Parts: sequence; structure tokens; C-alpha cells
Amino acid sequence: MRRLFFYLLFSLAGLHVFAQTVITGKVTEENGVAMAGANAYLKGTYDGTSSNEKGVFKFKSTKTGSFDLVVGLVGYEQFTRKVELKGDTIRINVQLKEAFNQLNAVTITAGTFEAGDKKRAVTITPLDMMTTAGAAGDMYGALQTLPGTTTNGESGRLFVKGGDSEESQTYIDGSLVSVPYNSTAPNLATRGRFNPFMFKGMVFSTGGYSAEYGQALSSVLLLNTNDMPAEDQLDLSVLSVGAEVAGSKLWKNGAVTGSFGYNNLQPYMSIAPQNYHWVQAPESANAAISLRQKTGKTGMFKLYSSISRSSFNLNQEDLNQGGKPIDYELSNNNYFLNASWNGKLGENWSMNSAASFTNNKDNIGFDQTTVDKKIQGIFLKNVFTHPFSDKFILKFGGEFSAKSFGQNVVTSTETHDNRFINNNFSGFTEAQVYASSNFTTRIGARMEYSDYLKRFKVSPRLSTAYKISENGQFSLAYGWFYQNPLDDYLLYTNQIKPERADHYTFSYQSTINERTIKVELYYKDYRDLVKQNGDAFYLPTSYSNLGNGYAKGLDFFWRDNKTIKNGDYWISYSYLDIKRNYRNFPTEAIPTFASKHNFSVVYKHWFAGLRSLAGANFKYSSPRVYNNPNSSVFNGELMKPYRSLDLSWSFLYRQNIIIYGAVTNITGFKNEFGRQYADTIDANGQYPSSSIKPGSNRFFVVACFITLTKKGKANQLDKIE
Amino acid sequence: MKKIILVIAVLLVNMVSIAQKPEFFQTMGETLGQYASCRTVADFQALGNKFQMIANVEKAEWSPLYYHAHCFIIMSFVEQGDAVKKDSYLDEAEKSIDKLVAMAPNEAEVFALQSFYYTARLVVNPMERGQKYSALSGQAVGKALALDPTNPRARLIKLQGDMGSARFFGQDPKTFCPQAKELLATWDNFKPKSPIDPAWGKDQAEGIVKGCQ
Repeated sequence: MRRLFFYLLFSLAGLHVFAQTVITGKVTEENGVAMAGANAYLKGTYDGTSSNEKGVFKFKSTKTGSFDLVVGLVGYEQFTRKVELKGDTIRINVQLKEAFNQLNAVTITAGTFEAGDKKRAVTITPLDMMTTAGAAGDMYGALQTLPGTTTNGESGRLFVKGGDSEESQTYIDGSLVSVPYNSTAPNLATRGRFNPFMFKGMVFSTGGYSAEYGQALSSVLLLNTNDMPAEDQLDLSVLSVGAEVAGSKLWKNGAVTGSFGYNNLQPYMSIAPQNYHWVQAPESANAAISLRQKTGKTGMFKLYSSISRSSFNLNQEDLNQGGKPIDYELSNNNYFLNASWNGKLGENWSMNSAASFTNNKDNIGFDQTTVDKKIQGIFLKNVFTHPFSDKFILKFGGEFSAKSFGQNVVTSTETHDNRFINNNFSGFTEAQVYASSNFTTRIGARMEYSDYLKRFKVSPRLSTAYKISENGQFSLAYGWFYQNPLDDYLLYTNQIKPERADHYTFSYQSTINERTIKVELYYKDYRDLVKQNGDAFYLPTSYSNLGNGYAKGLDFFWRDNKTIKNGDYWISYSYLDIKRNYRNFPTEAIPTFASKHNFSVVYKHWFAGLRSLAGANFKYSSPRVYNNPNSSVFNGELMKPYRSLDLSWSFLYRQNIIIYGAVTNITGFKNEFGRQYADTIDANGQYPSSSIKPGSNRFFVVACFITLTKKGKANQLDKIE
Repeated sequence: MKKIILVIAVLLVNMVSIAQKPEFFQTMGETLGQYASCRTVADFQALGNKFQMIANVEKAEWSPLYYHAHCFIIMSFVEQGDAVKKDSYLDEAEKSIDKLVAMAPNEAEVFALQSFYYTARLVVNPMERGQKYSALSGQAVGKALALDPTNPRARLIKLQGDMGSARFFGQDPKTFCPQAKELLATWDNFKPKSPIDPAWGKDQAEGIVKGCQ
């Protein structure tokens, strides 16, 4: 009945035949190339068609009178013209202009590696970070497969483009993280505090970054936490070194996730050979809660709070006591809170607010000495963004950070109790201007005032990018970067000023058919570095800003996930030339953290039949220097090169069960990180020494990750039991 | 009796709305007829464009947007190779789906399509996107089935997802064959609310049942 009626309507409508106007034309791009698939139609009517491969469109209309002819194609500005329909033929040739779209426009890539699931031009994705062999789930470990970084096996921290590890800062959702690494013993590698699965995206900037970020001489790592979880779920992770359970509960526009984890390396260390004797193997427990709440149409509030406790007791030889074994005990308590709100204020303003709080305590005891360190940090930031147009975006904001650092050292003979509080007030403004889709410039400045150092600093920042072809682009970045001196110096003096580095970065990047090449040249000029003279460390007069240095180099990156079917690899190479005269250096010298050549290749292969992702990673760092006080040349000795071949295997047993195994340094290269020396000479007039080795030559981990959900996959749940 | 009155009432309302918008229904009917002759990406793009044009005029109707998104999703499957192109088609589909969800939040067809869209995103790069988009797709089809457990397209998409993951995980997809047969047997029990409402999918269900034998 309905169908009949429907057809009746059709046929009735067909009877009304009026004079027809034919509208035809050709759609081309500005350069004359014909455009297929453009939608040409009369506005407010159903009359229209699409252009064919030759760019030609032709359609008829029975309408009469004045209408708007609209021609549109995704990625191009819409064309509109008034036409008069009188029953004849109208010919209109249309030239479409490429629409300006920030997502497709050139982006500043100098010094930047971005990862996210939305962006197209990504070089590394969060999943890449997690599945990189050798990193064993440590974000900072995975970053060390990127160019510009130097692997320091005895530290585990980030060393970027000739910068020390303290020169890199980590931000989560816009807030500074005061203590991003776990506490560890001297000369033993640490790991990041945060689980990489928390983050949906990251930007790793190895230089020339935005004026929004200060207090970092070398690099910033910007991490964005996940938005709403997709559904209620329970995650269980069982590893050979510990276990974690996490649960998420959703409600309308919000969600809460709670997690609890416990790690203990005792069982692992009892079966795997260790280079050191552990009285108590590292043990840690942590609990975290995170909240997500959408506010209004566009706003999102995020809160993350974690509390953790860790401890260990390591037996080491004390060279100052003729190699007598002593216990080095450490316990760490860390509390971290991070909150942020992102959203729109009206049509054209958006605001990002961020706050963080850290309370970190280390209690260390060795021989007859105790060291208690306490760091408290508060960070507040508010950033406003206002696009005056698509091509001119202004960003400005203010930041307050307070840090209190206290250290109490008690030895058998003396006590040092020192403490400082510093408040930093900062403001920045930055404009991004697009001259066209192919050329953009970002110009900004940052002002900082430290009330402890009583210093006011202004840092200009400038970067540009120019697209020379569909796939290739050049990018330049320049800026001044200030950072307050090390906490260990500020404990004893405020008569020094912030250290400064000037960055000059020039980069070329090209992506063709899922193959990316990036080459970067840089020069960094360090000045006002803190120097320490030979006087007692607790005297303010022992410190000055007379240090300086430079770093220059070349970074190369190649990523290809096209050539090998189901395979994906990237190759990084960094060349570094660096000298410094700072800290306790008697003269200009290469610092111990720098190696001239860093090479890394990461390969991943998806075996569909085995539902497995296998990964291999090889790393090489050329010999670094270290100082031998028995020699007259400062930092004149070379340690062995660092080499490591790492493998990993992830097996997707079920949609919700992943089994994972990884081995680092599978061939057991005997890596060494130089030698450490006693403070005083022995009977032979020599400083006794011992070699610095990694905690173990190899490391392996096995893990099982299980996700349980209610909805949609009930069949999966049934099969687990 | 009550039911009959209800049916008549619904029919009347439909007829009135068809009568009020004869041009809309006629154009939609003609345009839907063109599905049968679409083969290439360009064909589906032209058809999608047409639906977009209708959607521009009929701001209160969800079906033109539905078919616009549907065409662009199909384009991502027809396109060979280039992942960036596939994503750009899906970006277009996404715009319409977002509008659809806001416009017809109680329409099972909309969420069934959304689930289909997430599956298309997944297919572009299963290794990278598998986890996220299979969850989103499962969620959307769950919503569709909660709104209307009898909707055959929602049931089909759910079934395809279940069979796909069974195949992937080395289990026998044939355990879902009774469900497939049941779906096909009851397919025609579902009556679209109007002649321009979605009606696709029966041949896919037939294909699954054939594969079971």
C-alpha cells in the first residue's frame, strides 16, 4: 500500500515537465588540473551532479529564476555564483582554490617528534613506544631510540642533543612533573614513574620549542593523558617482576579509574645473575586514581593522583674504605597530583588550565651517613588561545611554580641541613601566522622571574616551516632557553643566575608513501653555566656563572612501514660534537654523558598467522669519556662502546589477553660505564678504582595483560574461565 | 485492535509526510536507486555528493546524512592502498555521523552505521587501531541493539564482528551459523519505518549463510 503510494507520487511528479535549463562546466584546480568528484548543485534544490574524471559536470533543472550555483570539493574553498535559469544552457568553468586547513597546513617540525592517533604526519605513535624492544615498557627507554638522544646505561634518563639529563623536563597535560624518574642508587639505571598506557599522545621536542615551556635547556616531553575510557573495564597485568590491577567505571560524561600495583624484583633476581649484591631487592607499591569529567559541550576536566613507596638495599664496595662492602639503603615516598581543564570560552577563545603538586621524599642510608631529601613542588598554569582568523592564532598565558628542596646530611662527624624555596613567576605570548598553507611562522617570548635568585629573564623564540613540495618541508627554530641551576647548587647559594642555552635548529623532513626521512642540523650555545671552584661545597663563594660550552650535531631519522609487508622499522643516527667548561671541570672538556655516534635500529614484524608482534632493536653508542684522577688529562679515558640487541614478542592470545616477553642485551655484550675512583690515594700513590657495570648484563621480563569488559564481548568473558 | 490502530496511524503519518514532501521522497528514491550501479570510488563519491546536497536542503531529515556517511564508508573499503585517502573519506563520513548522533539519538540505524564506521577506521590499520576501534565499534552496535534488538543491520554488524574475531583468534566462526540463519529467516519481519529508511544488508546475511554450508 505504502509502496504503491510512493510510486504514484513518483509518476505524478514526472508529469510536471517544464522547460529545462542545462548547467554545465569544467572544474579545475588553480594550476589547471581537472578535478573529479566535485559536487555541483543549485543551492536549496536537489538539482546537481558530480564532476567526472575530466572535471566536467552537466545537469538539468526545471527550476526558473535566480539561484546560487555551488561547487564544492573536500579540501577546497566552496565556489558560489548566481545563475539565472531561463531554459537555455549555462556554461560556467570553475576554478577551485585549496582551502586553508591547519590540519593539512605545514607544521613546524624542527626539533619535534609527535605522536598521536589523530594526526596524520606522525613519525612515532604511542603504540610504537610501548612495543619497542629493549624499552620494556619504559617511555624514556623507548625515546632513546630516537635521534638526538644519547644512551647512558648507568642513568636511564634522557640526554638530548648534548644536554645533561637535568636539562630535559616532562609535562603531563600541561603541568610540570618535578620528579619524573624513580629513585635509584648511584650508577644504576632508573625508569620513568608513569605507565605509557596512561597516555594517548606525546610531543618530544629536542630543541627550539614553544615559549609556553620554560626551565628546560635541552628538551621537553609533553604527555597527554587518555580521554574517556571506552567502557567499564578491569585490567589485570601480571609480570615476572610484579602485578597491577586497574578498574574503570563510566557514567554519563565522566569516568573514574583506580589502580594498584606491586613490584618486587626478589624472585627475578634470585634466578637471573646480577652484577651487584642486593640485600633487599627493589620493591615498590603504588596506588593511583584518575577522574575524567566532560563539562559542557567542549570542556574536559582531568585529575590524576598517585601515591607510591619504594625501597631497596644494595651492598656495594666502598673504595674510600679499601673496598669494604657497605649497604646502601634507600626508601622513597612520592605523592603526585595533576589536574587540568581544557575547554572553550565562547566561540573564539579556548582555555587550558593546569595544576600539579608533588611531594617526594628520599631517605638514604649508607655506612654511618644518612641523607634525607625532600622536594615539594606546586605548579599552576593558565593558557588562553584566540584565533583572530584561521591564519593568525594568538596564545598567551601565565605560570607560577614553587619548589622547596631540603636536604639533611648526617655523617659520623658533621651535619648539613640545607633548604631553599624558589618561586618562579612566568608569562608568555606567542603568535602563529600562516602566510599560506605552505609557510608558517611562530614567534613568541617568555618572561621569567625567580624570587630566590632575584633574576628576571626574557627569552625570545622563533620558528618557521616552509613546504617546498607536496611531501617535503624545511623548518627552522631559534630561541633562548633559561633554566635555574641545579638544586644541589641552589642549596648553598642564591648568588648565581639561571643558565642559558641558545638553540639554532635547521631541519628537512619528507614523507612519501609511508616512508619518512628527517635530517636535522643544530648548534647550541651554552653560557652562564655554573662553575664550582675547589673551595668547600657549602660556601656560596664556591659557585659562579663563569661556565660555558657548545654542542653541535646532525640527527638522521628514517622510518619505513611500507617496503616490507607487515614489517616496520626505523633507523636513527646522531652525530654529536660537544665541549663544556662547567661544574668542577678544570678546563674545557667533553662531558662524560656525551657520545659522538649514536645509532639505533628498531624493527617490528606482525606475524598474522601467529597473531604476534615481534620486535628487535639494536643500539650502539660510541665510547664516552670518563675521568681518571691518576692521569693528568681531565676526562681523558674512554669507556667501552655501548651495544645492546633486544628482542620482544607480544602474542594476542584472545582479543583481551596479551602475552608478552622481552629480553634486553640477548647476546650479553659486556657493557661498562667507565670507572669510579676513591677520593684519596692509596699506599702506591694511586686512586683505587672499580669498573661501573649495569645491574645485570641481560634483563628479561614475561607478562600477561588481561582486559575484562561487560558489554559487547560477553563471549570472550565466558572463555576466560 | 490497538495494534491495528497504531499501524494505521503510523501509515497515515508516513503518508502525510510523504505527501508534504513529494520532491524529497522522489529524489531520495531515485538516488537510492543509483546504489545498484555504483562500482568505483568515484561512483560512490558522486552518489555521496548527491545525498550531501539533499541533506543541505532537508535539515530536519536524518536519512540523507545517513547515506552520505554510508557512501563515504564504502569508499574507504573500495579504495586500494593509500591509507591517507581512506582516512580522508572517513573524516567526511565522521562529520555526518556526528550530526546524525545529535539529530537522531534514539535511532538504532544511526548507531549501527556508527559501528560500521568504526570498523572501517579499524580496517585502515588493524595493528595500530585494533584495540581502540574494536571496542568503539562493539559499543556502538551495543547501543543500536539496546535501542532496537530486532534491527537486522545492527544484528548483522554484530554477527560480522563476532565471526571476524573468532576467525582471527583461531576459533571456529561456524559456531555463529545458527545465529546467521536465524537472522536471515527473520530479516523480512523488520519493516522499515518509511520507504527511504535503510534497507540494505540482506544479501550480506545471505552470503554468510551460504558460507556456512
